[in-house]
Parts: sequence; structure tokens; C-alpha cells
Amino acid sequence: MRLSTATPLLPLLTPLTIAVRLTLTIPSTPILQNPSLLPPTTHATLQSSGAPLSAPLSRSNTFVFDNVTQGSWLAVVHSHDFAFEMLRVDVTAEGDGKGGEVEKVEAWQSFLGNEWDNRGEVRGMGVVGMGSGGGVVVEVRAVGVKEFYQARGGFSPLSFLKNPMILMALFSLVLIVGMPYLIENMDPETKAEFEEIQKKSPLTGAGNPASQLQNFDFASWMAGKTAPGVEGQGQVGQAKKR
Amino acid sequence: MHLHAIISSAACCIAGALAIFADEAYHIDYHRALVGFPTQDATFFHQPYAGSKASLVYTLSNKLILAAVNPKDGATVWRQALSHPPNITEGFLRAGEEQDTVVSAVGGEVTAWSTSDGRFVWKTKFPDTIVKDVEILELEGGRTSREAKDAIILLSGGEHVIKRLDGKTGAVKWTYEDISGDSPFQVSTSATGIHYISLHSTMLGGVKIKVTSLDLVTGQKLDQYTLSSDNEVISPECVLFAGANSASPLLAWTDKAHTVLKVNIIGTKSVSTFNAPRKGAEEVQKIVLHAPRRINSVSHFLVHYQTASTHSAEVYHVDLKKSVISKAYSLPELTGNGAFTTSTTDANVYFTRITAEEMIVVSSASHGILGRWPFKTSISKDQTFPVHGVSEVVVRSDSAQAVRSAVLFSDGQWVLVRNGELVWTRPELLAGALTAVWADLPEQEALAQELAIEGHENILSAYVHRVKRHIRDLEHLPAWLENLPIRILANFGGKTPSTSTTEIQQDSFGFHKLVIIATEANRLVALDAGSAGRLIWNIDLPKLAPGFTFENPTLSASHGYVEVRDSGLESPLLINTTTGGLVSLQDTTTTQNNLQEGQMLVSFDLIDGELKGFLDKKASSPIWSFLPPNGERIVGITARPIEDRVASIGKVLGDRRVLYKYLNPNLVLVTTVLDATRIASVYLLDSASGNLLHAATHSNVDITRQIPSALSENWFSYSFTLDSTTELSSRGYQLVVTELYESAVPNDRGPLGAAANYSSVQPSSALGDAAKPFVISQTYHTAEEISHMTVTQTRQGITSRELLVALPETNSIVGIPRYVIDPRRPIGRDPTALEVGEGLTKYTPVLQFDPKWYLTHKMEVFGVKKIITSPALLESTSLVFAYGLDVFGTRVTPSFAFDVLGKGFNKLQMLATVAALGVSVLFVAPLVRRKQINSLWQIP
Repeated sequence: MRLSTATPLLPLLTPLTIAVRLTLTIPSTPILQNPSLLPPTTHATLQSSGAPLSAPLSRSNTFVFDNVTQGSWLAVVHSHDFAFEMLRVDVTAEGDGKGGEVEKVEAWQSFLGNEWDNRGEVRGMGVVGMGSGGGVVVEVRAVGVKEFYQARGGFSPLSFLKNPMILMALFSLVLIVGMPYLIENMDPETKAEFEEIQKKSPLTGAGNPASQLQNFDFASWMAGKTAPGVEGQGQVGQAKKR
Repeated sequence: MHLHAIISSAACCIAGALAIFADEAYHIDYHRALVGFPTQDATFFHQPYAGSKASLVYTLSNKLILAAVNPKDGATVWRQALSHPPNITEGFLRAGEEQDTVVSAVGGEVTAWSTSDGRFVWKTKFPDTIVKDVEILELEGGRTSREAKDAIILLSGGEHVIKRLDGKTGAVKWTYEDISGDSPFQVSTSATGIHYISLHSTMLGGVKIKVTSLDLVTGQKLDQYTLSSDNEVISPECVLFAGANSASPLLAWTDKAHTVLKVNIIGTKSVSTFNAPRKGAEEVQKIVLHAPRRINSVSHFLVHYQTASTHSAEVYHVDLKKSVISKAYSLPELTGNGAFTTSTTDANVYFTRITAEEMIVVSSASHGILGRWPFKTSISKDQTFPVHGVSEVVVRSDSAQAVRSAVLFSDGQWVLVRNGELVWTRPELLAGALTAVWADLPEQEALAQELAIEGHENILSAYVHRVKRHIRDLEHLPAWLENLPIRILANFGGKTPSTSTTEIQQDSFGFHKLVIIATEANRLVALDAGSAGRLIWNIDLPKLAPGFTFENPTLSASHGYVEVRDSGLESPLLINTTTGGLVSLQDTTTTQNNLQEGQMLVSFDLIDGELKGFLDKKASSPIWSFLPPNGERIVGITARPIEDRVASIGKVLGDRRVLYKYLNPNLVLVTTVLDATRIASVYLLDSASGNLLHAATHSNVDITRQIPSALSENWFSYSFTLDSTTELSSRGYQLVVTELYESAVPNDRGPLGAAANYSSVQPSSALGDAAKPFVISQTYHTAEEISHMTVTQTRQGITSRELLVALPETNSIVGIPRYVIDPRRPIGRDPTALEVGEGLTKYTPVLQFDPKWYLTHKMEVFGVKKIITSPALLESTSLVFAYGLDVFGTRVTPSFAFDVLGKGFNKLQMLATVAALGVSVLFVAPLVRRKQINSLWQIP
């Protein structure tokens, strides 16, 4: 009810405003290649105070706002399937240098949750004179597709194999199974060399303290015998030192 | 600022784990894209473009929704909600022959829409006027034009004007002003010119019809004559028909008693008089004139006479050369109500008569029946009848091959019947849903009752009762066993068992609940939420309470009954939820009084802008009242839901300490606005005592926009639009979320800690702020305006909640996970390890609605007025139902479906794995056995 009383007052308060026609166009961008496929419920709103102005999507992929009054407007394109950038549209009065007045329309990118003065790139600009009756065309771009659905994490053998744990397990399995065959197929010289290395290596060799501890002959130690392997190795070590 | 955008989108990615799976969409949810009741004059078959083989049904409904409906399956091809001033309910829709636009007119706006995709073509606004009629100019100088056809509009405002609008741009070509002061009625176009029909009131109370002829090209007045209709016509309703784009536009009127029919061919001054048929004592209640709209069709028309119990029709022919109207034949009288439709092929005109039992096609030239199709399935149950419709007829060699009619029935269903077969039904009565309520299935409630009996008896008798109950249940065993193979097969096929049976099926998950809806057309409807919103029953309320119209009904469901109350209705109507039958008060065994001895019920109501609480409903003096300060106006009241289960009384922090929730069952949130200074406030009250618990004020709020709010558990939320008239730091919409705790200190219950009892009236011995809850609040910017919000409900309240919001601009419903809008999100710093453990993320001022939160996904749900939620038997699941214009329902699992196997669980794969393991055991077993034997026989 208050709205209906407010609307007739508006022309009285701003008697000298010129009808600015603002046209928002949707260009074809990589995100939205064919704007003609947008649903007919796609519409744009210009919000400032009170009920927002609304314009439906036309056949030529534009939104036309007639009679945009002076002020700072937030232009939003509402589409069910695409997200669009927000625009700040300012309509201000300016002198045309001849004593008359023109309406200046400027449009910038705007960002949600940012200060209103935080403007982005200029998206359109124009001056509408008293007599010209023309409009200003502003581009508004789609910034993303709304993906509503979640893909179900189904079972696929490839993704199963990509798991690092599975990869590690498979690698060690290959080693355990394949190593004896590999050693058998080596020529005798390399085999001997390999065995030599293996003996020396702290991991597998008899010098490994862990294996020493495991293979410790407690009974012979009690009997006062020294382990032959240990003794021998000690001798080798001594010989080398010499 | 780019950084901000990136941060906010990153926050969305973290939160966006909750979404609808593509294979569950359209299975767990259902949506009826409705339009409202199609209006008779603004519904027609039309080809979307010239030369198209298929045609669509275009309609402008009583809800002022413009829609194109596919006659094959009843799906809406496109819809447009026409903007209109609140007091306007009438609209016009016209389409020119072979045009690719339809022209709509509502209020002072004339708009052309593309027929194939519903895009906007042009719009012309006429402020402070109301469009009274629209016609498309088919003939330009005696021939049809290939170009876009112009529209003639009749405007009523300060003075009445007729304008010709260009068909391509909507620009005004000429204007004719009527300064006579007569009330405008209609415009009519013919091959020769435009006829403006106005009604001139005479001194004696009669109305004379004045016809003014205008020039097509210039809009100048050519001729004017007055028909002396003042003996019969006393109000505009008496004028039955004017014009249409026929070669011979007609003007027909009757008297108040419907005894006489007078017809004038517009352009001539002669009036033909016919008497309405009188058989027996029954008076004619309604006369409807059906004439073809095509310009090249023969000028025949049909007059439909409806009495209280029968209907009949007469067909008249117009001789254009002699300007004589003569009666050709009569259609026999049939009992019940009927509808007639007109269709044309080439120059021939066919009339289709639709009754409750059959459809009959006759030619306008002779009375022979060209085709007759009895309805195969009974379309109309319990005395419903066709109201009006549109038809398409295919006639070859003098017999009707096929006919399809889109008919509105009196029970609010819009039905397409093809050759007597029901093709689709659209429950358009649901578009006028006023209120809705969830109702449990009676079996569930019966079981709950039996369990309650067992719980209250001594052990022995309870055991006997239980054994008896189990023996009684055994009678269902054979049927269950019979269905078992089918169910198992269906399970492995990945399908849910079909619910084709007419009776409501009980399921173990509790998804089959009933939604009872009261509509504007005074009907009560029950839908089954578990089987895609199937209509269970649909009853006429005035039949149960004769002579009473329900304007603001309230519903409540319990124990297998729905109570319908309305102010002015003495005793509530009790209706059985399964059958829709009326139940008398004596039959209800349970008394609804849950109050214990010594307990009292406090009810509150908004009276003259003041919220007042009463101890007794009939008591005149309130026990408390709340008047917002500074002359603020109350715009909304939200109470905590009656059933609002809370599993945990505290919130466990990362360091295992507990913040105790402020859980008060009597919380009421009041939203107020102050018109002069653009301030919105919220007040949290205790409805038992009327105590004010918390208040918050926001400045620079656009108070003309709505402030929706929701209240649940120990938190509430509301949303508003920022006003731009003052200098502001930011613009858009804000969502505020507030949590209430007993104390700011963990592991502390504040003043309540030591109390053994709790009283609303005297919350604690502490005074002042100490008695009030500790409040934390956070505000988020949202990208879209929110029109309604509610909270999900689950059986035990263990599952986390979701805030459901309706977004009117994108016609969707979004479920915001609770943890995203947790007011304890750290501001200006990254969360500590303990806070991460709680699931808190850094506060971002922007709340982007992640597309994965959209419950409506690809569906566009128009005009959501309210969303209601109900727990299912599964703890993980909450049932959601939204109504307003469209009807939408779904199931949500805010903490994932943790207690049920989803569709992602591949039962066949599981079986295959078990089988593979079995086979491998068979192979490996001999090997192992041999090895064991060998190891025994080997000497170590």
C-alpha cells in the first residue's frame, strides 16, 4: 500500500529526469557460448531501494530497462543455470556544456561483500541527452556454470591402482616374487659379485646386528665358544685394516 | 577484491561436499510445475511458429502465470510469471494466426512473448491505467498480412482510450479517446474496421450498449450507434459475448433471469431475439456463447444453456448477406454439467461437447454426430464436472477421426482427454495452496499407540499383549512372503518397488508420509510424499460444512485425523487422513489434552500491533504483552517448532570442554521495522513469561522487502535487504545467524547450573543480564534475496541441521549446511588446530550459495511461499515439502545418508566379490591342504 502511494510521488520529486534506457547484453563467452539457450526465466534486476526493477530476457539476449532514474544501482542477472557477474550502474546528472543537462551512465564490475566503492573493470559508459532519447548498452558476462550434481565415487580399477598404498604393495610383491628369478637368470660372474655385495651390505650380511641377535647361538655362547661367522668377519676386517 | 572472490569460492569448495547425486535427482524429489486455473478466454491451442505441425496449449491462469503446455505429456514448455499490481487478477492473452508471438496484457502492461521459447519480445507500459481488452488485428484492408500483426488495446484509466500497437515493437500507432464517460466493455475487430463497445448507463438503471466504429489506419471515428438493450442489461455480466475475430462479429446479451437471448451483428442495427429453452420448472442459470475465432471460418455459433441439473445447446447460423440469424438445430438435453468447445479446420466449425461421461463431436452445419467417445477411465469422481476447455478436432470424410481436449474439471484438475482416453492430469488446484501440514500414516501411529500401552502396563500383561500383537501380525506373513522375490529382484535391479497400488504403502524408512493441503478453492488434498507426490484424495470442504467458505484455514494432524479450523467455524472438521472422509467427534477415541495436572497452556496472538500472551484462550486479559519500542511495527513472528528434537544439550569444543546450549521450548522471534528511519529489529521472547531475552537492531534496511526468519534448537537466523538511500559500505542482502548459550564460559551452566528446576517466569535467581542467554552472532552477505527460510528436522535431532532458504529470483530452494553458518567461525585469523577439529573454518563475509546445495537442482520451482519439514523414520533423513504456486518435495540428508545404503552401493558387485572369494577358496583349499600334509611329513 505504501508502494502505490510512493510511485506517483516519484515523478514529482524528480521532474527533470530524462528517461534513460539501460540495455544489458550477454555476449558469447567461452563459458556461455550460446546465450540463446538460456531459459526464458532468466531476468535481470536493478536494485537500489524498494522493489527492484526487473527485465526479462529478450529474443536478442538483452535485458532492457526503460526509465532508469538517477542513482546508484546494483545490476544482477538471475539465471537458473549460470552465474553472472554483478554490476554497479551509476546514473548521474551532468551539464552538457550548453546549459542543459544530460544523464551520464557508468557501469562497472562489482563484487559481493565488498565495499560499494570497490569497483572493477568498466563494462559500459554513455551519455544520454535530453533530445537523443537513446540508451546505454552494457555488457554483462557469465562467470560460471552452476554444477548441481555430485558425481558418485564409483569403483573403477584404474583409480584403485592409482592409490599409492596399492602401488607400494604391488611393487614389493613384484620384488618378492621376481627377485629369485632375476638372480637365477644372471650370468655367474655378476651373480657372484652380487652375492659379494649382499654379504657386505649391512642389511643382509652377517654383520647386521639384528640378524646377529636373531641367529645368536645362546647354547654355544654359554659353552664358551665364539661364533665362527663373527670371528671370521673380524679377521677379514683386521686383514683389511692391515 | 579478486582475492576476496577467490577466498569465498575456496570456502565453497570445502563446504560443497553435500550435494544431490545425479542418479538420485528426480527419484528422491518431485516437482509439479503448476500454473493455476486456466481461464476460459485466455486458453487456446496455437502453433508456436507458422507451419509447425504440433501445437501447444497457451494459457494465462487465474494466478497470472503465462504458460505453454505440451499437449502430449502435459509438461510446461515455458512459464512466465507476469508482474502485476497486487489488486489486479484479470489478464488477457491473444495470439494472431500464424504468429510467433503471443500478446499478454495485465494491469497497464502489454507484453509480447515469443511462442516457442517464452522469451520477451516487446513491452509497452501505460502507467495508471488498466487494460480492458486486447485484440489482434488479423485483417489489414481485407487481407491477412504476412508481417507481425498489430494489436488493438482498450485502456481504462482517467479516460478510456483505444490504441493500436505495432506488432513488431509495441509502439503506439494511433490513439482514440472516448470522452463520453461510458464504461468501456470490449473492442472487436472485423474485416471492415474496429468496433468499440461501451456500456452507457441510463437514468432508469438499464444499460445501453453503444458501438463505435473506428478506422483501421487512422483511428478516427466513423460511425456510432446505440442498441436499446436497457430493458434487459442491468450490469456488464448480462452481456454474454462481443466480437471475436470472426467475419461477422457478434454482440449477444441476455436479461438477468436468463430467459431471452438477443444477438446483434456488429455493424448492423438489427437485433434478433431468441427465447431460452424452458423445459419443466428449472431456470437457466448460465448462458455461454461459443463462436469460432478464426477469420475465415463460417459464421456459426453455439449457445450453451446450463440449468441446475441439465445442460443443452442450440446452434445458430448467420447469413451475412441478409444479416439474418437463424437457429439451425438443437443439441439434446443431458443431465449434469457440461462444457462446449469450438474448433475449426479450414472454414468448417466443429463443436465438442464434453460431459462427465463422454465427449461428442458435431459439425456446426448439421446435427449429426461425427464422433462419440465415452471416457475409458472414469475421469470425474464423485460429481465433478467439466468447467471449460479447448479442443482440437481432426475430421476426415465427415467423421471425426480424433479429438483432444484440455478440460478444466470442477475438482481443480486440468485434464487432457484424447478420444476418451486420459492423457495427462495437472492438479492445478494445488497452485492455490493456502496451508499444508504433515500427517503420519495411521499404521505408524497405531503401532506407536500399542507400544505406549505396553510401556505403561506391568511386565506380564505387557508381554501377553506383545505376543498377541505378534500373532496378529502373522496374518501379513503370506503376503509378505509372496512379495519377497519381487522385492529382492527389484532391489538388485536398482529399482525401488513400484507403488502402482492405490493404497498407501507403509515403508520401513518412513518416507511415505502424507501432506494435507488446504487450497484457495476450498478443497482439501492429500499427497503421498513417498511416491512422488501422488494425489491420494481430494475433497470439497464446503460439502462437509455447508455454506461456509474457508478463508484462512489452519490444519493440524494427529492420530490419523486432520483438524480443519477457521475463525468463524464453530467446531473443527475432523477428516480421516487415509480416506478423506469426515469423522464425527464421537468417533475419535483419543482426547487431545496432553496437559498434566497443574500445567497451563499459554497462547499468544498479535492484537492491534501488540503481541499478547493469554493463559486461557477465552480469557480477556493478557498475562503478558510485548509492544516494540519507538513505534516499531511487527512484521513477523516465528516460534520454535513444537517438535524440535535436540540430541545434545551442549556443544563439544575441540578441547573436549562443553558449551551448554540455551534450550528453551518457548522461544519466539519477533521481527519489527521502523518505517521512518529504515531500521529493522529482532526481539527474542520467552512466550511463557513474555520476558525479552535478546534484541538486535540493524540500520539501513530496505523495509519494503520481506524479513524472513527461522528458529530452531538454540539458534535463529533472519535475512534482510540493504537499502541504498544512504551512503553505505556495501550493498545486497544479508543473512544473520545467532546462537544462544547458557554461558560464555565452557563447562559452565551459568546461573542455571545449580538450579534443580527451571521456570520460564523466573528463569533464575540471578537478575539482569545474568539471567539472559549468552549470544553470539555472525552476518553474511548473500548473493540473492531470501523470501522464506526454515530448518530441517530429524527423528532424534542427532543429524546436523540444514537451513532451507527459498530464493525467488532463481526459483530455487537451497539447503545451507549448519556448519557453514556457524557463528563461532574465527574472524580475521585462521582457525586453530582445536577449531579445525570442531569443523570451523575462517569467517568470510560472503556466503556464496554453492550450486551443490540447491535442492531443486535443474528444476525451477515458482512462487515458493512456505517450506515444511518433517522427520523420517531414518535418523539421517528429513522430508521437505514446499508449496505456494508450484509443489515440490524432496528428502535431505544433512549429515549424509549414514544409516541407509545409497544407490552407489552396487549389490551385484558385492555378490560377485563374494562369489569370486568362494571360488578362490575352492581352488586354494587343496593347495593348502597338501602343504600342511607335506609339512607334517617332512622332517624338520
